[in-house]
Amino acid sequence: MRLARYLGHRILLAIPVVLGIVVLNFFLIHLAPGDAASVLAGESGAASPEYLEQLRQKFGLDQPLGTQFLVYLTNMLHLNLGYSFRNDSPVTDLILDRLWPTGLLMLTAFGAALVAGTLLGLIAATRRNSWRDSVISLVSLVAYATPGFWLGLMMIVVFAIHLGWLPTSGFDTVGADTEGWDQVWDVARHLVMPAIALSLFYLAVYARVMRASVLEQVGMDYVTTARAKGQTEIRIMTGHVLRNALLPVVTMAGVQAGNLIGGSIVVETVFGWPGIGTLAFNALQSRDLNLLLGIFFVSACLVVLVNLAVDLLYTALDPRMEL
Amino acid sequence: MSQSPHLTKLSRRAVLALPVGLAAASGHGAAAEPRRGGTMVMIVHPEPSTLAHYAVTAGNIPPIATQVYEGLCTYDWDLNPQPNLARSWEIAPDGKTITFKLQEGVTFHNGKPFTSADVQYSFMEVLKKYNPIAPVMLTELTSVDTPDPLTAVLHLANPAPYLMKALSGRDLPILCKSVFEGTDVLQNPSANKPIGTGPFKFVSWERGQSVRLDRNEHYWKPGLPYLNRIIARFIPDAGTRSAAMEAGEAHFAAYSAVNYADLARMTSNPILGLTTKGYEMTPAQSVLELNGRHPQLQKKGVRQAIAYAIDRNVILRDVMYGYGQPATGPLSRKFKTAGLYTDDLRRFDVPDRLEIANRLLDEAGAPRGADSMRFGLHLEVNSFGEQWLRQAEYLKQALAPVGIDVTLRSEDTATWLRRVYTNYDYDLNEPFLSQGVDPVYGLNKQFLTSQIRKGVTFVNDMFYSNPEVDRMLDAGMREPDPIKRGDIYKKVQQILAEDCPMVWLIDVQYVSVFNTKLHDHTTGPLGTQQAFERAWMDK
Repeated sequence: MRLARYLGHRILLAIPVVLGIVVLNFFLIHLAPGDAASVLAGESGAASPEYLEQLRQKFGLDQPLGTQFLVYLTNMLHLNLGYSFRNDSPVTDLILDRLWPTGLLMLTAFGAALVAGTLLGLIAATRRNSWRDSVISLVSLVAYATPGFWLGLMMIVVFAIHLGWLPTSGFDTVGADTEGWDQVWDVARHLVMPAIALSLFYLAVYARVMRASVLEQVGMDYVTTARAKGQTEIRIMTGHVLRNALLPVVTMAGVQAGNLIGGSIVVETVFGWPGIGTLAFNALQSRDLNLLLGIFFVSACLVVLVNLAVDLLYTALDPRMEL
Repeated sequence: MSQSPHLTKLSRRAVLALPVGLAAASGHGAAAEPRRGGTMVMIVHPEPSTLAHYAVTAGNIPPIATQVYEGLCTYDWDLNPQPNLARSWEIAPDGKTITFKLQEGVTFHNGKPFTSADVQYSFMEVLKKYNPIAPVMLTELTSVDTPDPLTAVLHLANPAPYLMKALSGRDLPILCKSVFEGTDVLQNPSANKPIGTGPFKFVSWERGQSVRLDRNEHYWKPGLPYLNRIIARFIPDAGTRSAAMEAGEAHFAAYSAVNYADLARMTSNPILGLTTKGYEMTPAQSVLELNGRHPQLQKKGVRQAIAYAIDRNVILRDVMYGYGQPATGPLSRKFKTAGLYTDDLRRFDVPDRLEIANRLLDEAGAPRGADSMRFGLHLEVNSFGEQWLRQAEYLKQALAPVGIDVTLRSEDTATWLRRVYTNYDYDLNEPFLSQGVDPVYGLNKQFLTSQIRKGVTFVNDMFYSNPEVDRMLDAGMREPDPIKRGDIYKKVQQILAEDCPMVWLIDVQYVSVFNTKLHDHTTGPLGTQQAFERAWMDK
């Protein structure tokens, strides 16, 4: 009951936040010069004023800004994200098509980074100043400093071209018509390199944060008390230190969730992964305003949801925090 | 940049020599027996915004759309029209009527028979109204008669000799009347699910990934096509596109989808070949436009000085990696076949070009200041790719020695287009201009006074106006005699080179990369912008 009330309260608070983001984005985007009609006409390399006028009428860009905003807001209230000028397709369809590949890539990369980073940080902290700590710190530093696009291209050269183990790019083998487990295997092979390229940066961050956090916790009074009570080191680590040390990692994961969509653009581009990141970038380039606003809306909702999940996770990790 | 110039030269020569041999070995000259079956994966870059080929003429649509839509004609290597959906034609002596006899037994992918009513509807109700090139190519078309289902008669207000060059599926595709009739053409659902008469049928489009086209079992040309399927793949990153070709995942990449910088590496890969064929009907130039409203650029001497100051060979070598040729004037050399090109005009590639440029600037009343610069100009960087930034960087370097201080301005496409073509808030602009199948397309839109059209992209944004050029371009449009027409356009090129409203930089040469398993992929001058009906693959 308490949880339900808390969730209801947070969701009510999120509505004006999301609405504010939508309104602000609408007007910010319209401040940028140029429109979808001029980009499309430009790409055609040939356009008459009549053709431009046709495009602007088709897209509703010939209407005053206020009218365009009212139309957009009305559509939004009906959960209609509008029509993509450039892709000649409903925005909702486009986003839903891309949400699954992006979600798969993000969850795989983020999950791998979180688990491996936390473990490595824990090992480094518990073996402080040992060779393991040095190796983990060095690897973290290199992973942190390595650009994802470079790593991606190097992996393609090694694993796709020279060794031929993995496909260069894409979500699956186009035209192969695989089904069932064959399809799962096919997608997994395509997922390996982009997931590694995307996760390494986050892995390094979590390893370093976790190491610092564990080191901070092991110096606390409650750890000394636990030792005085005769608890084993493993019990102290898993039962006390780990829970407390995870809080900064969870905070960081929550903050970075907002970067997920934008941060994946480079990796999606290098690996031809059909995700939200490249969709957003192309929409921005082509002034596909409805699509861009739709992506902002979905992204804002996701950030709100992730933050809510993080807050709930806090209470699970730290009983002192109340809903 | 530590590479030996000599080695660079040798390597480029080798690269340039390669296409001819490879094209002969695996292109239209292949002697092996075609094999049926197989899936060809071609890279198309960037992903098209739509497949509504009849209403949007972006260059990335035809490689897909022309597999589905066909035109009345195809073209041979000498650019002469050949029968396609039209089996024959007759042009009236006054040039104002063209009668097409159509193929029998052709059906659209939806099973409807192809008739002259489809030709009439396509030309009058779709192409003339919605196709961006129609204001030029179909401006003289007044009506289409259909005396019988297999005869279509095009009536023209004046002779339009260029029209016979634009009847391919790429330029003027034939649509199915029953699909469009009574609907809003621009909103028609077939825009992205095209229905044509071509050798391949549209199956699906997974946005961000690929388009799938399957063999048309009922194609009207007996035994064709050979391939079972074509997949058009979209890979945004240039490095990954090259990798897909090198790994053998993709079999064809046209229109320089593989970066020029990667081509030399491709030649050392035994599974790959390169060809520059298939672009004979796709002339294009990179140019430097000069804003005629700028106080300095209003002076002919200043404009000519800029043209003299630029060494086109540097752009060719360092930006285009040796692919293309230094432009000599307003028309690409690809118009030589049609007898319309000339290089008998003011040449800017003379040995003492820098001395001439400095003298012209002195005479134009632009003395050097304390910093040895005469005046400054802004150059708008073409936003359609990294190579244009490199070109802009060279242009800045090239103009500094003659005392012109160039500042580069890079913006995204929408902002760039608005700044140049709507606000005219620019000094120098470096677009890449397609010249179409006839000079009426490129020259008219760049240099006619009537083409100074605010808000319209890639037209006369230089404010160039010369009544003599206007008159001659108008005459060139209507002159049916090829010799007289050639003379008109040669004279126009000479006047334009003298007036120098823009600087012509490079006659662009596209390159196709192909997997050597794929044969007969380039069988005509439209290359990948015509159907792969004869392409076939080894096992």
